Amino acid sequence: MSIKKPIWQQPWGYAESFIISFGILSIGYGLEWMLPKTPSTLIFPINLILGSCFFILLILSHFLFRKTKTHAFLSSIPLTISLVSVLSILVIIMGILPQIPSPQNGLVQKLGLNQMTGSYPFLMINLLLLIVLGLVSLKKTFPFKLKNWGFVCSHWGLWIVIFAGGLGSGDLRRLKMDVFENKMEWRSYDDQNRFYEMPLAIKLKDFKIDEFNPKLAVVENESGELYEAQKPSMIMIEKGLACDLQSWKVEIEEFYVNSGRAGDRYYKLSDFGAAPAAKVQVVSSQNDTLRGWISCGSFNRPHESLKLDDNFSLVMTVPEPKRFSSDVTFITPDGKKRDEVLEVNKPVSVNGWKIYQLSYDDKMGRYSDKSILEVVRDPWQPYVYLGIFMMMIGAIYMFWKGREKINTDVS
Amino acid sequence: MIWSNFILVLLTSSLLWLFALLLYKKEFLKRLFIILGTACIGAFIAFLWVKLERPPLRTLGETRLWYAFFLPAIGMITYLRWRFNWMLFYSLGLSLLFLGINYMHPENFSKTLMPALQSPWFVPHVVVYIFAYAFLAASSLVAVRGLYQHYYKTLDKKVMLMADNLVYLGFAFLSLGLLFGALWAKEAWGHYWTWDPKETWALITWLGYLIYIHRRYHMPTVFKSSLWILALAFVILLVCWFGVNYLPSAQFSVHTYSQAP
Repeated sequence: MSIKKPIWQQPWGYAESFIISFGILSIGYGLEWMLPKTPSTLIFPINLILGSCFFILLILSHFLFRKTKTHAFLSSIPLTISLVSVLSILVIIMGILPQIPSPQNGLVQKLGLNQMTGSYPFLMINLLLLIVLGLVSLKKTFPFKLKNWGFVCSHWGLWIVIFAGGLGSGDLRRLKMDVFENKMEWRSYDDQNRFYEMPLAIKLKDFKIDEFNPKLAVVENESGELYEAQKPSMIMIEKGLACDLQSWKVEIEEFYVNSGRAGDRYYKLSDFGAAPAAKVQVVSSQNDTLRGWISCGSFNRPHESLKLDDNFSLVMTVPEPKRFSSDVTFITPDGKKRDEVLEVNKPVSVNGWKIYQLSYDDKMGRYSDKSILEVVRDPWQPYVYLGIFMMMIGAIYMFWKGREKINTDVS
Repeated sequence: MIWSNFILVLLTSSLLWLFALLLYKKEFLKRLFIILGTACIGAFIAFLWVKLERPPLRTLGETRLWYAFFLPAIGMITYLRWRFNWMLFYSLGLSLLFLGINYMHPENFSKTLMPALQSPWFVPHVVVYIFAYAFLAASSLVAVRGLYQHYYKTLDKKVMLMADNLVYLGFAFLSLGLLFGALWAKEAWGHYWTWDPKETWALITWLGYLIYIHRRYHMPTVFKSSLWILALAFVILLVCWFGVNYLPSAQFSVHTYSQAP
């Protein structure tokens, strides 16, 4: 075993690393407490200039000071571990406290704990990590040894992800667009409902929704809450379905996805606002048989339930969407037109913007003529992807290689 | 109904594994029974997949099922490599525990799958995670074993090497899960990282194991602190998996699919 060395004597180890890390954290909180909160982010070209300066300085300092004790400390594992520990503490706080702006002005708000990613301590720890990670990666890259390729990939990959992701966050634009059927739209809006003009126009030709069939459920009459004494508490309706729901036997005698009520029954109907309906036969545990119609209704038709007894009713739930998509035409300033289908998980790129299907008017359900799109511009994305792919290669290397045989017999 | 089949699976697997435990000296029979018991769970997952017409990966109960399948598989692989009987039976016990939880807390088996989850990324993202969790759970078992040995006996160096290997495998999968998630999120929602509570906790888990790996790399001959880090990292992993839904931050999460109507 080694003899304990006094603190602050070179080479620095864990004690010094943790003191320095927590020291920087304290300074960060001091700044957060005193300085005014300005929600400013770096945008092009300042982020690019600052980023390049940082990178050049990092490389220069690596080659100029590579033999010094400071360099050895800055690229050491104890400092890495202490910084990652401090970062973990910050991220744990972030994982517990909701990260939303708040009008209150308590300790949480003063220390920026509810807006962690923009707070000084978080940024300072990340900056230091970026320096440490950069120096470590440089050390392993020059001189390059082939056996280190997995290490180089994973560490540089992470460095690029943090660097490009952090610097690029100011240039990221995420806006929304509401487009209506047969109308042209070229304005987008942000979280604060500020409008922007887009370098492209979108015309919605058709908005389509496929839905799952609605489900059967039993609710309490008084509270209207779902009754869940037994599972399953909800069963999807299908033609000819016969099932046990709680203590009742339910049979579907007729089922229409689109229907409307006329007189004492529902008929198949493909009207605007036509709703699903089913004729059910219910047998209770006392062998009483009930028959009736249930419907979940739509934005312009009432829903209908079947009263089972004084306490419970049988209802049909509102159907959940299976797939929704927008048939659109993009028109760019150069006069070009392009027809595309936008669907969840299938974005389309136009003129440097990526367009995503986000939502629709959920009150109108499948009769919605409004489609809500998200438009995103992220010029730094290719660099972040490069980092992500390098990290993936690193992970696969790690999986393949496993823990290298280490000499544990030193002691 | 789906549930009457599940109790059959639970009973069959428990019985087969009980036989394996009783016959643990008969190498061939032990392996056969364990593999058959695991295959039973696998068959049930396949059955569920067909019945639900979607990958059964949406709810907590469904992921527990996968976990109950991968744990014995990993236990078996580790056994073939390291020949630890205790590790093998621990993983079987843990797997039964998860099956038991599923039996005690039945869920609605619902066919619905929201459009956001209908993506080719869905299956790899979740399966890779469950694989990672299973490896890391196994590594934490090793850590507990190691700590016990450290305090009451002498620590077997082989135990430490096994813990390292399991963490390396688990960490590789965990990283891939995070990165797949990031790529998928970019394709589906326009940004790779939105600090959703589940993401945040997954990052904490990743950082925890990152600390362990670096500590082991730096101090390969010091065991106690590393073992404690490993045991603690698993607590965080459990928070990430089960606990997130109960934290104040969870109300803003996009990852709480289990409470779907």
